[in-house]
Amino acid sequence: MNDKSNHTRPPWAFLAFLRWFCDPRLVEDIEGDLVERFEIRTLKKGHKTATRLFIKDVFQLFRPGIIRSFSGSQSLNQFGMLQNNIKVARRQLMRNKMYSSIKIGGFAIGIAVCLLIALFIRDELSYDRHIPDHENLYLSIKEYNNVPEYGDVRAAWFSAPFAQALREDFPEVVQTARTVNGENFGAGANSIREEGNPRNNYEEGWIFADPEIIDMFRMPMIYGDSKEALKNPLSIVLTQSVSEKLFPGENPVGKTVYASDLDERPFSIGGVVADPPKNSTLQFRVLVTLSGKEFWEGEQTFWGAQNYLVFTRIREDANLANLNSRLKEIGTKYILPLEKENGNPNAEEEVDNINFFLKPLTDIHLHAADIYIPLAKSDIEYVYIFGAIALFILGLACINFINLSTAKSANRAKEVGLRKTIGSYKSNLINQFLTESIIYSLISFALAVLLAGLILPYFNALAGKSIVLPWDTFWFIPILLVTSILIGVIAGVYPAFYLSSFRPAAVLKGTLSIGAKGSKLRNVLVVVQFTASIILIIGTFVVYQQMSFILNRQTGFDKDQVVMLEGTNQMGDQLESFKNELLNIPSVENVAIGDYLPVTGTLRNGNTWWNDGKTKEDPGFPGQNWRVDYSYIETLGMNIIEGRNFSKELRTDSAAMIINQAMARELGIADNPIGKRITNRSSNRFVYTVIGVVEDFNYDLMTEPVRPLAMRLGRSSSITSVKVNAENISATMAEIEELWMKMAPNQPFMYKFMDQQFAQMYASVQQVRDILTAFAILAVIIACLGLFGLSVFMVEQRNKEISVRLVLGAKSSQIVGMLSFNFMKPILLALLLAIPVAWYMMKEWLSDFEYQIDLGAGVFVFAGLAAIAIAMITISFQSVQAAFSNPVKGLRNE
Amino acid sequence: MGKNHLGEFEEIVMLTVAILHGEAYGVAIIEEMETRLNRSVSIGSLQVVLKRLEEKGYLTSELGQATKVRGGKRKRFFTVTNLGKEMLQTSKEQRNSLWNAVPEFSLKAISL
Repeated sequence: MNDKSNHTRPPWAFLAFLRWFCDPRLVEDIEGDLVERFEIRTLKKGHKTATRLFIKDVFQLFRPGIIRSFSGSQSLNQFGMLQNNIKVARRQLMRNKMYSSIKIGGFAIGIAVCLLIALFIRDELSYDRHIPDHENLYLSIKEYNNVPEYGDVRAAWFSAPFAQALREDFPEVVQTARTVNGENFGAGANSIREEGNPRNNYEEGWIFADPEIIDMFRMPMIYGDSKEALKNPLSIVLTQSVSEKLFPGENPVGKTVYASDLDERPFSIGGVVADPPKNSTLQFRVLVTLSGKEFWEGEQTFWGAQNYLVFTRIREDANLANLNSRLKEIGTKYILPLEKENGNPNAEEEVDNINFFLKPLTDIHLHAADIYIPLAKSDIEYVYIFGAIALFILGLACINFINLSTAKSANRAKEVGLRKTIGSYKSNLINQFLTESIIYSLISFALAVLLAGLILPYFNALAGKSIVLPWDTFWFIPILLVTSILIGVIAGVYPAFYLSSFRPAAVLKGTLSIGAKGSKLRNVLVVVQFTASIILIIGTFVVYQQMSFILNRQTGFDKDQVVMLEGTNQMGDQLESFKNELLNIPSVENVAIGDYLPVTGTLRNGNTWWNDGKTKEDPGFPGQNWRVDYSYIETLGMNIIEGRNFSKELRTDSAAMIINQAMARELGIADNPIGKRITNRSSNRFVYTVIGVVEDFNYDLMTEPVRPLAMRLGRSSSITSVKVNAENISATMAEIEELWMKMAPNQPFMYKFMDQQFAQMYASVQQVRDILTAFAILAVIIACLGLFGLSVFMVEQRNKEISVRLVLGAKSSQIVGMLSFNFMKPILLALLLAIPVAWYMMKEWLSDFEYQIDLGAGVFVFAGLAAIAIAMITISFQSVQAAFSNPVKGLRNE
Repeated sequence: MGKNHLGEFEEIVMLTVAILHGEAYGVAIIEEMETRLNRSVSIGSLQVVLKRLEEKGYLTSELGQATKVRGGKRKRFFTVTNLGKEMLQTSKEQRNSLWNAVPEFSLKAISL
C-alpha cells in the first residue's frame, strides 16, 4: 500500500493551488472529493488520465462561488482598522488646524509646481511625435570638421541640388522636401491680398517648401489635395487660421492672391492645411511652393549657396548608420569638382572635412542645441533643470511635513504608549501614521490640482507654452492618485517609524522628553531648506543684476527712440520721397533705410573675408557684409573712430567699406586701416577700400563677442529706421502714420521700437530670470511655512518657561531675543553653506556671457540679510505674541 | 415563490441528494448522476450548485467522520430540507400541470 501511495498521490502543486484560492469553508470537503475521485480514476483509468482529469477538475473549480472572497474574516478586520485610522487622522487634522494647514499648504504648493513642471516636460518631449510614422523622418545635417577657432561646426543649411542627390544616389531615401525660411529670400513676414481687393493683410510665417512637404509631414488637409496643393508653380497653401482670416467660411482653393503687392506674380491657392500644432518643429502660416522656383538664374543646380533645409523620409528597413557613412560620397561626387574648378588649392582637404548625416526629426527639438538650425528649438538641459527644480521644491515640502510631524510627536506619544500597552504592534502604528500622511497627501493633491489650474495661464505665459491639464486622458487621474499615495508614504515613512518606536513604559511614566529628541534632525532639515532658499535668492539677485547690466550697457549704438517701420519695401519708388517727407516732421531727427540692424529679426549676410590678393594663401575669416544707406551710421548713433562716413559727393564710395574694430583686428590692419583694400570671395572681382572704422557695436547676443562686420552702400528696403527726438512719442507716431496712410493707403502700418526689439533678444535670459524668481519665491514661502510651524511649536513647548520668565521680570524684548536666537543658529549655518555654493553656480552661469558683472560681496550680504530678515519676520509672529501674552494664562493650568 | 424558481440542474442535484438519502456527498452525487442520467458532471459545477442551494435553504449539510481514504478529508453529507422538499413538490406539480395541458398530437410528433 505504501509503495503504491506514491503513485496514487494527486499532483501537489494543483492541490496547493486549490487550497490557495478555495473558500476555506469549502476546501476540506472539496479536496476530499477530488482526492477520492482521483483514487477511483487511478484504479479504473490509470495514473496518467486520473492526473489529467484531476488538473481539469481543479481548474473547473476556479470559479466564482468557490474562490475565497476578498472580504474574508481577516480582511474585514483590516478594513475596520483602516476606518479607525482614517477617523483618528481626521480628528488629528481637525484638532491641529494650523499645523495641518501648514503641512497641507506647503505640500500643495510643492505638488502644484511638480505637476506643472511634469506637464511642461511632457510637452517638451512630445515634439513632432504627432506625425504618423515620424520614426522615418529625418533632417539632413552637415558637419564641418576643424574649423579654425570653432572646431566642429554642425548646421542644417544645404544647397538646392542636395535633396535631389540624396534621393537619386541613395535608394534608402524615399522622399525629400526642402524648405527655405531665409528672410532675404522673401520668407518670414509678407503682405497678402486677395485679387480684386486692394487691402493688404500682413502675415508672418511664410516659408518656401517643396510640394512633397505636405505628404511627408502627413499634414491634415482642410481643403484641396495633399499631393496636388503645391504641385504647380506659383501655388500657395494657407493654414486654416490664415484661410479663416482672409476667406471666412469659404473654400479658397483656386483663388488668386498677391504677395507683397507684386501684381506680376499672382499666386493660386492650392489648398488649406490645419495649423501645425504647437509641438511641431516646423512652424508656418503660409507655404509657397518651390516647384518651378529659381531664386536666381542657375540657382537650382548651384552647389555653392547653402539656403535650404532638407527633410528626408527613409525606408523603414534602412540601416541609418550605414546610410550616414555613405553620405560623404556627395561631397566627393558633387562638391569636389566644383571647388577644383574654382581653383581652390585646398579643395581635397576642405571637402574631406565635410560630413553629412541624418538626424531624427524627433531629436531636433531637444537634442540639437549644438547644431545651427534656423528653427525654434529647445534644449534637453532645460528638461533636466526643470525636473531637478521640481524635485527640489517637493523635497522642501516633504521636509516641512517631516519636521512638523516629529515636532508634534509630544502630543502623540501618550497615544502611542497607550496603544502599545493595549497590544498594538509597531507595524499597526506604522500603518496608522502612514495612513495619516497619505490622507494629508491626498488632500494636498486635490488642492494642488486646483492651484495648478489657477496658475497654469501664468505658467504658460512664462514658458511660452499652451499646456492644459490633461483631464481627458485615461491616465491622468490614476497617476495623480498613485503619486499622491507614493508621496504620502515617502513623506510619512520617517515620522511613522519615529513615532511608532516610543517605549510605552517610558512614555507613560513621563520620563521621555519627546520632541527634544528629534530636534537635531529638525535643525539639520531647516538648514537644508534655508540653504536651498538662500542659494535661490542669491541666484535671482545675480540674474537680475546681470540682466539690467546687459540691457543698459553701452552697445556701441543708440537704440533709444528709434522706430523701425516695417514693410517699407512696398513703397517701391516712393520710398525715397517717403524718407524726405519723414525728415520734414520736426521731431524726426534722422532716417535710415536698411534691413541690416543690430537687433534680432533683421537681416544677416555672412561672407568670408580676405585682404586683397591673399585669397589663395589665407583661409579667410567669416564676417558680416551689410548694405546700408548714407544716413545709417548717424541714425543709429554709431561712432566712427577712424576715417569717415559714406559721402554722397564721392562716387567712389560705391566701392568703399566701413568696417568694425573686430574686422580691422582680424585683417591685421588695426594700426592703419584707412585705404586698405579687402575682398570677399563671392565677388572676388570686387575689391573694396576701407574708408572708416566704426566702434564695435553688438549686433549679436551679448553672450558672444562682437564679430567682424563690414558695411557698404546698398539698398535693402524692408525696414526704415526713424530716429525720433520727442517728448511725446505717440504724437510723433501719429504723424508718421498719417504720412504713411497718405503715401501707402493699402499697406498696413507696422512698426517696432528698437529698444524693445533689443530687449527681446534677451527674452530667453529674461525667461530664466522670471522662472528663477518664481521658484525662489516658492522655495522661500515653503521654507517660511515650515519655520513658522516650528516656531509655533517651540513657543508652545516653552510656554510655561516664558510665563515664569515674564513673572520674574524678564522684558518682552529679552524673550523675543531668546526665542529668535534659537532659530538664528541654523539659518546662519545655512548662510555659510549657501554662499560658496551660490558663488560657484553663479560664476558658472555668468561665464556664458561675454560681458558680465563682478560677483562682489554686496550680492551675498544682501541675500544673507534678506534671508535673515525673512526668517526673523516669520519667527516674530509667534515670539512677539508669546512675549506680550499674559503669563497668568500659561501658568493657570497647573 | 416565483423568484425562487429551481433551475434544471439544481432540480436534478436535489433529486439525487434525495435518492441517496443521507449518503449524499460530493463524489457520490456525481457518480449517481453519471450512472442514472449518463451525464458527466465536474466537481466545480456541482459544488457551486450545492453551495447555492444551501444558501437558499433547500439543502443542509454536515461534516462526517474522517476516514483513511480521500486523503483523510471529511465528507460533507447533504440532506434535503423541508423547504427543499416543498420546492421539489411544487416544481413537479407545475410540470405535471404543463404536461396535462399539452394536446395529444404534439406529443406524437415528438415521439416520432
